[in-house]
Amino acid sequence: MAASVALRIDLPITRMASPVTFADGVREHQDEVYGVALRITGDREAALDVASSTFLKAYRAFDRYDQTRPLRYWLLRIATNEAISYVRKRGRELRRRVALEQGTTLADPTALPDAESVAREDRARIRAAVSLLPELYRVVIVLRYFNDLSVDEIARVTKRPASTVGVQLLRGRTLLRTALEAGR
Amino acid sequence: MSNDRREDDLFDETRLRRALRLEPAELPTRLDLAAIVARARADRPAFTAASLISTLVAGVAAAGLVGLIAVTLPAVAPALASDLFTAAIETLANVAIPASFLLNLAAQPTVPVAAIAALAVAIAYEYAQRRESLREVTS
Repeated sequence: MAASVALRIDLPITRMASPVTFADGVREHQDEVYGVALRITGDREAALDVASSTFLKAYRAFDRYDQTRPLRYWLLRIATNEAISYVRKRGRELRRRVALEQGTTLADPTALPDAESVAREDRARIRAAVSLLPELYRVVIVLRYFNDLSVDEIARVTKRPASTVGVQLLRGRTLLRTALEAGR
Repeated sequence: MSNDRREDDLFDETRLRRALRLEPAELPTRLDLAAIVARARADRPAFTAASLISTLVAGVAAAGLVGLIAVTLPAVAPALASDLFTAAIETLANVAIPASFLLNLAAQPTVPVAAIAALAVAIAYEYAQRRESLREVTS
């Protein structure tokens, strides 16, 4: 059964004689795809949904995917688009869930006022601030600081001009700093 | 000042990277690849059927439109052609009346067009000469 599933998953690959198989792509990039979805949506359940629909779309479009381009950027592009659509569709419900999750993270009763707990609170505050950024800035901030992409790479993923990405990164950072300072 | 700013930015970038990094507890269980593939295949027949139906509907609509045109055109075409022909004749008559006067004038052997043109050139030349001499007097 497992062998037949593996064979079926590899079908697009043998048909296209592509250097990367769909299964390899999923294995290699699933954490990154899930991570970018998590940082954009701010919710684990939503991130899982987004990651699944990303790979579903990628599987359906795999024979149209340009093999000369890196698979990573293609998957990240689908994932960011899916995450944005998800946020747009379920924005209100998502914000409530994110606020609840952040609240429980901050109000951890086992937390001690040591360096580790301070760092954890700081991380939670930054993540909450990122998830509240306007999506225009959120996407570039996540791609830059979570996926470690350069400005040119972000421009390729988002199909925005590099100069626009640069300005959006700057503006996103300023908004984040303002939000974090206001939350102190 | 700019040094402080750069350090501030560097600090922010490091802090951001550290905050956004996935923690081991956040990592999801492995995605079920077989389930994704199965879902893609399960959805595909419905999608194929929907696209087939929409193509069929579009085809039927196009065929209906072509049939309608084929039926109505023979009935409408003579009336339409007659109207168009009448309008064309009327326009032609309206243009021809003033045009015939000008054409008659040009065709008159007593008023040769070349003579009129020569007269016009002579008048223009005279005008130019006078203007030139006037400019010489005033300067």
